[in-house]
Amino acid sequence: MRRSRWPFAVTMAVLLFFYLPIIILMVNSFNASRFETGWQGFSLIWYERLFHEPEIWRAAKNSLIIAAGATALSLVIGTTAAVALHRFARSRLQSFHFGLVYTPLVVPEILMGISLLMVFVAAGIKLGLFTIFLAHVTFCISFVAMTVLARLQDFDESIVEAAQDLGAGWWATTRRILLPLLLPGLIAGGLLAFTLSIDDFVITFFVAGPGSTTLPIRVYSMIKFGSPPLINALSTILLVLTFTAVAVSQSLSRSQR
Amino acid sequence: MSEFLEFRNVSKRFGTIQAVDSVSLEIKKGEFFSLLGPSGCGKTTMLRLAAGFEHPDAGRVILDGEDITDLPPNKRKVNTIFQSYALFPHLTVWENIAFGLRVAKRTKRDIETEVETMLRLIRMGDQAHKKPDQLSGGQKQRVAIARALINKPQVLLLDEPLAALDLKLRQRMLIELDMIHDQVGITFLYVTHDQGEAMSLSDRIAVMDSGRIEQVGSPAEIYETPRTSFVAAFIGDTNFLEGEVTSLVDGEYCQVRIADIPDVICFNDKTMKPGNPVYLSIRPEKIHISRDRPEGTRLQNILPAVVEDMIYLGSTTKYWVRTHGLRVQVLRQHFRFFLDEKPIRWNDDVWIWWHGDDGFMLDRFCAGDEHLVSRPPQKVGESEDDGPS
Amino acid sequence: MREKRRRKIQEALFSLPSLLWLSLFFIVPTLFVFAVALRPANPYGGIAPGWTWANIRSLVNPNYLAVAWRTVWISVLSTFICIVLAVPIGYYLARVSAKWKNVFLMLIIVPFWTNFLIRVFAWKVLLHPEGAIKKILAFSGLISPQASLLYNAGAVVLITVYTFLPFTILPLYAAAEKFDFQLLEAARDLGARRLQAFAKVFLPGIRRGLVTAVLFVFIPALGSYVIPDIVGGPGGEMLGNKIAQRVFVDRNLPQAGALSVVLILSVLAPMVAVLILQRKRERPASLL
Repeated sequence: MRRSRWPFAVTMAVLLFFYLPIIILMVNSFNASRFETGWQGFSLIWYERLFHEPEIWRAAKNSLIIAAGATALSLVIGTTAAVALHRFARSRLQSFHFGLVYTPLVVPEILMGISLLMVFVAAGIKLGLFTIFLAHVTFCISFVAMTVLARLQDFDESIVEAAQDLGAGWWATTRRILLPLLLPGLIAGGLLAFTLSIDDFVITFFVAGPGSTTLPIRVYSMIKFGSPPLINALSTILLVLTFTAVAVSQSLSRSQR
Repeated sequence: MSEFLEFRNVSKRFGTIQAVDSVSLEIKKGEFFSLLGPSGCGKTTMLRLAAGFEHPDAGRVILDGEDITDLPPNKRKVNTIFQSYALFPHLTVWENIAFGLRVAKRTKRDIETEVETMLRLIRMGDQAHKKPDQLSGGQKQRVAIARALINKPQVLLLDEPLAALDLKLRQRMLIELDMIHDQVGITFLYVTHDQGEAMSLSDRIAVMDSGRIEQVGSPAEIYETPRTSFVAAFIGDTNFLEGEVTSLVDGEYCQVRIADIPDVICFNDKTMKPGNPVYLSIRPEKIHISRDRPEGTRLQNILPAVVEDMIYLGSTTKYWVRTHGLRVQVLRQHFRFFLDEKPIRWNDDVWIWWHGDDGFMLDRFCAGDEHLVSRPPQKVGESEDDGPS
Repeated sequence: MREKRRRKIQEALFSLPSLLWLSLFFIVPTLFVFAVALRPANPYGGIAPGWTWANIRSLVNPNYLAVAWRTVWISVLSTFICIVLAVPIGYYLARVSAKWKNVFLMLIIVPFWTNFLIRVFAWKVLLHPEGAIKKILAFSGLISPQASLLYNAGAVVLITVYTFLPFTILPLYAAAEKFDFQLLEAARDLGARRLQAFAKVFLPGIRRGLVTAVLFVFIPALGSYVIPDIVGGPGGEMLGNKIAQRVFVDRNLPQAGALSVVLILSVLAPMVAVLILQRKRERPASLL
């Protein structure tokens, strides 16, 4: 049967579509010209200027602190949720629980942002890094839970029984069997949460209040009011960093198998 | 030998299903004991009750005089070989085997000595550093056995350990299991649905169906003297004939009327009396078949028959013959090859006969086995295979 | 019995942290939006006591209706384009060899690892009036030199498709992986033309993937904020922008709440529709 060429052609076109803007952006970050109109020679000037922007360093620091905290807390809450969803899968409570954990994944971010903003304002909580932290934990829980749940579902239950059969109590079983085998899933979930937190804009924008910035908020104001070449340089750096981080995590989770 | 592992009236229900229904069982020390039965008969549940993964709704489990019913699995001196082996994927063969000793906090030197001994027993010393995903099915199973035996359990529980292996490997592992049992000498409780495994390995077998024990006995007892139709039909092939006792003969035998045969002789081990309805079971290999009528003695049942079907199997041939309207299966082993002997063909007239000692009467005929009974056709000219008109 | 109780306690313990947190920080705030929509605003940008229908009544405004309508058709169009592109890609990926599968999947996912804002910005640069694309298109006569590629609904659709295409490819690919391609050969054998087989056998076969893919684009697209904000201009304004405007510019939380209620309901509608359709599909079988 002669295969149609269409699916292949569409795939190639779409891939080109995906990479075009990114490549142009990265190329332009080395463009000495201030305007996008022409190539004026290779230059690292924009990276230099970026280096000396204090606002950017502050924003980066905030982003990292929030991401670290949100990852830690959402890992704990998300993992316990995944364990509950897996072990007690058929109860009515878990059906509701699953819906509750799944829904934040499909709801538009702006809804989460504005609803949290309203609650914080009404409760009189000052908007700042803490409210950002609370918001980030909220959406990270769902991602961590789903990642760990997928890993749990692949897990052979009889191994736990085997451990008990051989004399291990619940602590020995957890320490020697569960944690080592779940670790890749936990790392994957944690990395996902960390990346999402660092990258989040919409929800953060709504609950940040004046005075606290994170890296994405900084990028946004630069896009709206700032210098395009600086954004190119910043973007390229962020691109390379996230790419490396995720590539490392992928190769880590693969070698575990 | 004393009763070592005892189940006293244990019952276990899952939802609406009664998996184990008030079962009592006594297993002797050092025995190779099998629980045999079809899927869903409750044999695996019994094993899990012994291991501690299930708690009985009623009844007690006793090990070496001690009531272990309420003990969690990690506190019982029993170990399990799981059907999927359940080897720890992140640990090497060496560490898998050592696991039980590590958890028990034995000294490093002890652990090393014991693990080396085990590796020698299963002949896998040179593969100790491998991980489970690098092993074959048979190797995984040997590691599972070593991992369990190293803890010197009082009973080894095996959950259909050969089910995942192919035929040749299964035959080899059967022999190995037997050897290990002889060498190590501990009590084995073995669960399987394969009668061949149970018969070849066990000292005693318990046949289970629907949460109950149908019969307990040695393989020979189970095979030669099954007490119910379920046991008779589950193990090996058999013919079921129904009839009624007409008279007692010689004190040890009785005459049974089956269909229109008035005088079938059968050994009366069930103290039947005239008038009792009876189900007679005869194994096909106990029935002889030939073209010529045999001399026969008083205690032999000799009947004329016509060959309806046959299957040639090389070392044996299976015949289905019809006599007095009854369809009977006969298994004949070929001892010698006679060049000029005319082979028995379809539609040939033959004689079948069996000794009265070889048939046995069943205690109980299960309603579910009604379709296995050979009966004459309802109307003249109609075969058994036609449905009701 | 004792076993059952212990299990119930265990289940409650493990479920508690996430149930509590999500109830407090997800369910309660969502319900709160409804409440805030019914309250008057105070002049300092907060919420005043008392109840009022004023915010709801103010929704009936041709301006809002225009924005709502634009939000819906942009979302529908983007979803449609995404599906049309993603189905052949999912089909192709499911049939290609394992090695290439991983390569392509990686290539599709990698851009997604980069920051969303940056990707939108990259397009803003590409579509710039002085940019290369505009120059090429104007030169080849496809568009007039005055036309702008940016700051209109078209740009919003383009970048929405760009953003959500991976989200449609992945579930469609997953469904295509499970599809038995011999069914297509059987259809051809029975006389169907290639396109017929595709429409009547393949598409129904990946129905679940299609539904997931649609939901993964349509619902987030409805709530778009960043894309219309950066490249939409006044002609590309969507509901999300209006909500943000009420919050940050007008400092009128209750009005923002009223608009958010509209958004919540329009997001719930397709989800509920899918649930009902799923129930309907499963009912007849269970009645057998």
